[in-house]
Amino acid sequence: MPDQTTPPFKRAVLGLSGGPTDELVVRFACELARPHRAELIAMHVVEVDWRHDLAEDVSSGNVEASAILDRAEGVAERYRVSMQAELLQARDVGAALVDESTALQADAIVLGLPYRKKFGGDFAMGRTVPYVLQNAPGGVFIVREPIARSEARGGEPETAVGAGMGEADRL
Amino acid sequence: MPTTQQPLRGRKPGDRRVRIERPHADYFRWEAPGVLVAKQKAHLERRPLARAWARIKALLIGRPIATEAELEERLSKKKALAIFSSDAISSSAYATEEILGALIIGGTAALLFSLEISIAIAALLAIVAFSYRQVCLAYPTGGGSYSVSKRNFGRNASLVAASALLIDYTLTVAVSTSSAVEQIASAVPSLAPVKVGIGVLAILLLTLGNLRGIREAGNIFALPTYLFVGTALLMIALGAYRIVVLGDAAAAPALQATADVTSQAAMAILLVRAFASGAVALTGTEAIATGVPAFKPPESRNAATTLMVMAALLATLFIGITFLAVNFGVVPDEHETVVAQVASHVYGEGSIGFYLFQTFTALLLFLAANTSFAAFPRLGAILAQDGFMPRQFAFRGDRLAFTLGIVILGLVAASLVVVAGGDTHALIPLYAVGVFIDFTISQAGMVRHWLHERSSGWRYRIAINAFGGLLTAIVAVVVTTAKAPASLAVLLLIPFLVVMMLFIRREYDKQTAELALRPEQVIGPPRRRERVIIPVPGLSRAVVQAVNFGRSLADDVRAVHVTEDADAAAAFRRDWERQIPGVPLVIVESPFRAVVQPFVAYLDVMAPAEPDLITIVVLPEYVPRHWWDRLLYNQTSNRLRQALLGRPDTVVATVPYQRENEALAAQPTR
Repeated sequence: MPDQTTPPFKRAVLGLSGGPTDELVVRFACELARPHRAELIAMHVVEVDWRHDLAEDVSSGNVEASAILDRAEGVAERYRVSMQAELLQARDVGAALVDESTALQADAIVLGLPYRKKFGGDFAMGRTVPYVLQNAPGGVFIVREPIARSEARGGEPETAVGAGMGEADRL
Repeated sequence: MPTTQQPLRGRKPGDRRVRIERPHADYFRWEAPGVLVAKQKAHLERRPLARAWARIKALLIGRPIATEAELEERLSKKKALAIFSSDAISSSAYATEEILGALIIGGTAALLFSLEISIAIAALLAIVAFSYRQVCLAYPTGGGSYSVSKRNFGRNASLVAASALLIDYTLTVAVSTSSAVEQIASAVPSLAPVKVGIGVLAILLLTLGNLRGIREAGNIFALPTYLFVGTALLMIALGAYRIVVLGDAAAAPALQATADVTSQAAMAILLVRAFASGAVALTGTEAIATGVPAFKPPESRNAATTLMVMAALLATLFIGITFLAVNFGVVPDEHETVVAQVASHVYGEGSIGFYLFQTFTALLLFLAANTSFAAFPRLGAILAQDGFMPRQFAFRGDRLAFTLGIVILGLVAASLVVVAGGDTHALIPLYAVGVFIDFTISQAGMVRHWLHERSSGWRYRIAINAFGGLLTAIVAVVVTTAKAPASLAVLLLIPFLVVMMLFIRREYDKQTAELALRPEQVIGPPRRRERVIIPVPGLSRAVVQAVNFGRSLADDVRAVHVTEDADAAAAFRRDWERQIPGVPLVIVESPFRAVVQPFVAYLDVMAPAEPDLITIVVLPEYVPRHWWDRLLYNQTSNRLRQALLGRPDTVVATVPYQRENEALAAQPTR
């Protein structure tokens, strides 16, 4: 039996992509955080390619990126869980998530993973989830989208997927 | 718009990242494309005085609650029973006394009828409760008899019902508070001189409690109601055991049979009056039907269940207390209430149980007013939504309570207590008249409802509602007659309120018609020219700012300087033309020293209204730093604004100048 009194984490970073799994990730994290009053940090990473300087404000994208975090805050508010939000620009999403969660002394990362298959039928995880699983110092929770929901959605999401929002995570 | 910071290094040399600030995040969040939701910080007051007031308000009534938490503010059946039933249940503490008080005129033997009368009243209560149960189910938006009569009889009847209810809710607060204060004053006679003050303070506390929101009001006020119900039921059980099992009952006086027609007629009148007096027990029965939306979902079902529980409790307490009073031979006494005499019989005079019961009774009488605080503001909000009351009645305050309705009820009830000097007898003649008119309209409305619906069992439902309506109509006539001439004031007040509400609705209708856009109308770009006129008291940074603003609006800009000093005006013109070239200055000499009227006259004569021309009067205004600065500055601007209010084809724009920019003031003006 799991120990009900030990919190699964004290501070968790939620990697949000703007994709179909965001709400699942936030709800899941809120359910875990609420009984123990754990802290949540919603994080969205805008991947900046090598044509742009990293410090350059990719502003048109950032307004949409802000909205991703705002929607997460809205869900957390309904759960009455305290949530901070952080917007990052980076070359590599996985590395940014791991480095920032280390800097923030978070003891867990929660990521969403849409259910999708490569051409040929193999299940696809993208690049970010394996990177975080390999490199995160704390615990990692992966919330995979239910298959039925993926089918109802009609396959590939329009926005970037998983915690990896970059081109590398697209099929 | 987000802004970036310096890159942060990661574990590997290439893994750099940049945190992006989101300045809007503290104040707003994006809910959907183009839709922003203001966070709590965006609601904070910015001026020091307003901030201080907000802090005091938070201390008194609590922190603001978001609209999305409205569902959590709804009442469970247990809390709703306490909030909406305190008025009805508290009547069990005095209804028996009302019956005995009416019957005692016929001698002690006549008191024997009190049990039969209380059973008859309980039957009437069952009919009324049954009717309002149907109202809860058929009209889930609340409003009770107002909604029933609006649907079945139309506007005027519904406004009569609403007016009667509003009057009765207000009187309930005044009467129950005065009554509770009188109970305290009779226990502690030294408090008698300050009973008005205590009454007003009690109403103030109830007002504050209700401004904290209906759920919190339930938390505060539920306990005394349940303590009274518990101790009263215990008293009835113990008393009934002593009477039935132990045979502890007073010898009943003999009722003399008489064949005298006059005596029989007098007895019949006496019984009808006793029935009408005891029927005050029914007041408050309608409150639940008024406040259906305050219940947790399923609202109608929960309200209907709570109503039936309340009716069952009230009937049990009322018949039980009357049964004990009759069997213990209790007669009305000036110094001790009937219910206190019954309690002293059961719990023992001077016992802890007796004092506890008396304390809970006094507390409940105070809280009877709370039912009105739950129902009056909600009825006011429904009337405001229908356009019969000012719209502010429908606005919810920080705690999701209908603030204006609560405050108005508190103020009017407190005024009544002050005017009546805290004397219950001065208010009683006005009380319970409105509620029986309301019951009658509601029952009649339900008869029409069933005739229209013809759902299963409609015939027997019609029979019940028609019989109930007949009885409540008789009670309304008897109560009004018995309490005349004071009760006639209510009959005069009802049409006055109806006319007032019709007037408000007519005004709103007129305004809506005036402002309405035809659905097929498509608004094109403006085709009007603009003319800017700036009244200038002198040359200052505020004036320069106003002139610059005016120039950004139109090419036709002129300044008008109204003065009584021709020499100073000439000097002013020289300075103006040198420092603000290109903006013509008109000097208006005012030998009678007025500023506002000559300026308005100048507009009328020299800048008259034209069909395709809009006149923009730009007022330079100095922004005060402190509240007392407001007395020192902008008086002329304020008067000008007032004078121009409603002038055709004229827009008044104020250009504020911030004194805080003192560093800017040190720089030369551009």
